[in-house]
Amino acid sequence: MTDAPDPTDLLQEALDEAGDGFVELRSHRKRTRGVAVEKGRVDSARTSEHTGVGVRVLVGGAWGFASTDRLEARAVREAIDDARRVARASRPARAQADLPPVELARGRFDAEGLEETLERPIDEALDLALGLERQAREASGSIQSATCAYSEVYEEKGIVTSDGARAWTRLVRPELYVEAVAARDGELQRAYEAVGATGGWECLFRRHSGPELAERAAKNAVDLLDADYPAGGRRKVLLSPSLVGLLTHEAIGHTVEADFVRAGSCAAGKLGERVASELVTLCDSGQSELIDGAGGTIAVDDEGVAAGRCVIIEQGKLVSYLHDRASAAHFETAPTGNARAWEYGDAPLIRMRNTYIEPGQSTLEELIANTEDGLLLDGCAGGQADANGEFMFGTREAYPIRQGKLGPLMRGANISGVAFDVLQTVDGVGDSFRWDLGAGHCGKGQPAKVDAGGPWLSCEVIVGGRQT
Amino acid sequence: MSATSERREAATELARVEERCAELCELAGAAGAEQAEAYGQRVRLRSARFEKGELALGKATDGTAIGLRVFDAGRLGFAHTNQTDGEALERTARDAAALAALTPPDEANGLCEPEGEPAGEPAGEPAPPDLWRADTAALDVEAALEHGARFVQRMTASDPRVRIDEATLTVGRSHTALANGLGLRRAESDAWISFGALGMAVEGNEVGGFHSVHDFVRDLGELDQALERCADELTGVALANLGAGAAESYRGPVLLAPSAFAALVVSPIVSASGAIAVQRGRSALAGRLGERFASERLTIHDDPSDPELAGATGFDREGQPVARRALVAEGRLEALMYNGYAARVDGVATTGNAAGGPRSVPGLGAHGVCVAPGDGGDEEQMLTALGRGLWVRRFSGTVDPISGDFSGVAKGACWVEGGRVTRSVRETLVAGNAFELASSILALGSHSERCYGSARLPMALIDSVSVTAG
Repeated sequence: MTDAPDPTDLLQEALDEAGDGFVELRSHRKRTRGVAVEKGRVDSARTSEHTGVGVRVLVGGAWGFASTDRLEARAVREAIDDARRVARASRPARAQADLPPVELARGRFDAEGLEETLERPIDEALDLALGLERQAREASGSIQSATCAYSEVYEEKGIVTSDGARAWTRLVRPELYVEAVAARDGELQRAYEAVGATGGWECLFRRHSGPELAERAAKNAVDLLDADYPAGGRRKVLLSPSLVGLLTHEAIGHTVEADFVRAGSCAAGKLGERVASELVTLCDSGQSELIDGAGGTIAVDDEGVAAGRCVIIEQGKLVSYLHDRASAAHFETAPTGNARAWEYGDAPLIRMRNTYIEPGQSTLEELIANTEDGLLLDGCAGGQADANGEFMFGTREAYPIRQGKLGPLMRGANISGVAFDVLQTVDGVGDSFRWDLGAGHCGKGQPAKVDAGGPWLSCEVIVGGRQT
Repeated sequence: MSATSERREAATELARVEERCAELCELAGAAGAEQAEAYGQRVRLRSARFEKGELALGKATDGTAIGLRVFDAGRLGFAHTNQTDGEALERTARDAAALAALTPPDEANGLCEPEGEPAGEPAGEPAPPDLWRADTAALDVEAALEHGARFVQRMTASDPRVRIDEATLTVGRSHTALANGLGLRRAESDAWISFGALGMAVEGNEVGGFHSVHDFVRDLGELDQALERCADELTGVALANLGAGAAESYRGPVLLAPSAFAALVVSPIVSASGAIAVQRGRSALAGRLGERFASERLTIHDDPSDPELAGATGFDREGQPVARRALVAEGRLEALMYNGYAARVDGVATTGNAAGGPRSVPGLGAHGVCVAPGDGGDEEQMLTALGRGLWVRRFSGTVDPISGDFSGVAKGACWVEGGRVTRSVRETLVAGNAFELASSILALGSHSERCYGSARLPMALIDSVSVTAG
């Protein structure tokens, strides 16, 4: 697998006979290995191969897309013909002017950890999953069931365009999930730990080892049986780096995707305006900034644009949207390397990569000490954002803070707010940083592997707790 | 292409998938597997995607996927590929057999024995649904572009304030086959049109909350009506979301639209009715078979025979017969859902609920969830029954399928006074527990609506929900 031939050779051969007009060819080989264990039984031990070529063309201002699962120059040429037929049928579509020239990536881009992960036999992953599941299940008499799942995705892409891109990228993304279910008097509580990275196991277990993750999942499940629900209402909260990541992704990131901006998101027309506290600088990057191994890392996007760092909010001021080549042309700016496709049969869309708030000056202890009445929230459980900036996301653990002191564990609750309003309330930014959503996927018609993170953050949100 | 040649091409494609499945089973045997099961699918999609109300991309894709499950002395291995040449199939067989050599044995692992033709169980149930629609299958990308444009036009022409962020319409057809080493062979062809949109209303500087719609039809004759219904729902809710104000915090009754009822109450119950969840100690309904755990108003069926639902099929992911079955009858847990593995653990027959596609090991799930309507009347009568409180048209949040706890934002929500909508509301969260609320159903609407093309549910008036206004 590691000595595979350069896939751009085949694409270039097909492109050389494709005639005039813009053509973008993307071969995508995706190979997955994974195991899943529950209550001592192996539910899944699998490999998966999903390989093909996606073709996008621009004919008379209209896009067309087709794909083939055959890695042969002839099949790719047929797919080019199909895509052109679709484009011609699509006229009159929204006229897309020719894409403006941009510096496109050329060369080979291998991510860290590639060899190490691919050469590791699957037996090791199976032993790891069996061991961690058993550890979590046997951690307490209250544990009813435990699950451990490991997977790794190897992705190799070749991107060749008629205006000069010729990039070959390879990366591997391992993920681990440990879950424990505790029961008492007919009540069930679940807790889990999930980690994911772009890189090797060193990155995957950079913060907690496998046994530490199993121990945390089991302990939290048992502790949640005794935990109460927090009271609902508008509350001062300290958000953990994982929740800050979710905030940056759901509440801000989606509203600044240029396609969403063009449809009228709440970020439209706000470039240059103050949208957050001056303490907030928020970015999205294809690189793993600050700490290695972020789960959404890519060297080159699926249009062949280098995937660099994009500052979205700089010291409270909105300074950029996220772009693909077409939206960048519309806004008369440079593409930001955010065009991504899930599999070869998907056309690239504007997607985030690794989204984060830069660390500030306060220690966590100082943030807690400065909170008179609030909640410390940790553990993310998914989320969504609305066009008007209203966001929602789930938290798994809550700790009350009274007069600067942390109280006992409470059950998590969903929190909500209006993105830019919440960022205006930020009055403290922690000095530590971590990526913490590497096991997550973003959904926008097609999945995308993303990561997000940041420091601890003090702000105000609505907590959807229980009413009496 | 004429209907005759279309039919001929479809038959050829289905036969090709059947052949590949049978070939892969044989290769698995040669690779050392004791038992093998191959499940393959050939899918053709033609779609149109619209952004900002305008056509953004037409798309034509075709692809094949085959999943191979093997057992060797109770050990499990699985491999999937989308490559169908001989070398790729041989590699897939070797991969699955190699994995099976590594995993610990499990006495419940094994193939399902052939048990006659699909469906017809229990006696009196309808024949397996015929999912193939020649006129739908014959549609090409031009039709997807045309119908999609009409869908978007209806939404954008209704009111200049309506903005469509994204809309898609896809014409699809699939050929599915299963073969196993015990001689079981199944095959089925399907043709459908799915569509959806996400949009909001914008007035001056105000951006209203978005609303999304999605539906699915097989019969081409039903398409226009379904498109109009979805378009009108999206524009109606998007416009109503403008001028949203504050709700009030309380604990009490809320009115749930069918999709919100599905997410908050019905889905956790269906999930907890899976036999594996019960066997593994992560079902809130464990040990309650035959017991009443919910309001007598609640009756839930799993119905794979309804061709108007996306999950309709003549056989499950293990090739076993499927049939309409009651999961909950008048609040009583009537039956659990079984696949082959769970059935062997409990020593019972499978209920044909093996679920999933060719890319993963068969799981367990419902085909088409149908909640029986109640006697609460139409929307106006349900609003009158609510009197004062929150009407939730979409739920955006998290539901823990194990504990049943849910918490999230009420979307497209309205505040109701005296049985009438007084205003739309924003920044309003709802929280509760699905299994507790199942006992607090005050009324169900008199009509079940198709929800996202995959389920049928009525509106529900439910007590004891926590509402937190921002």
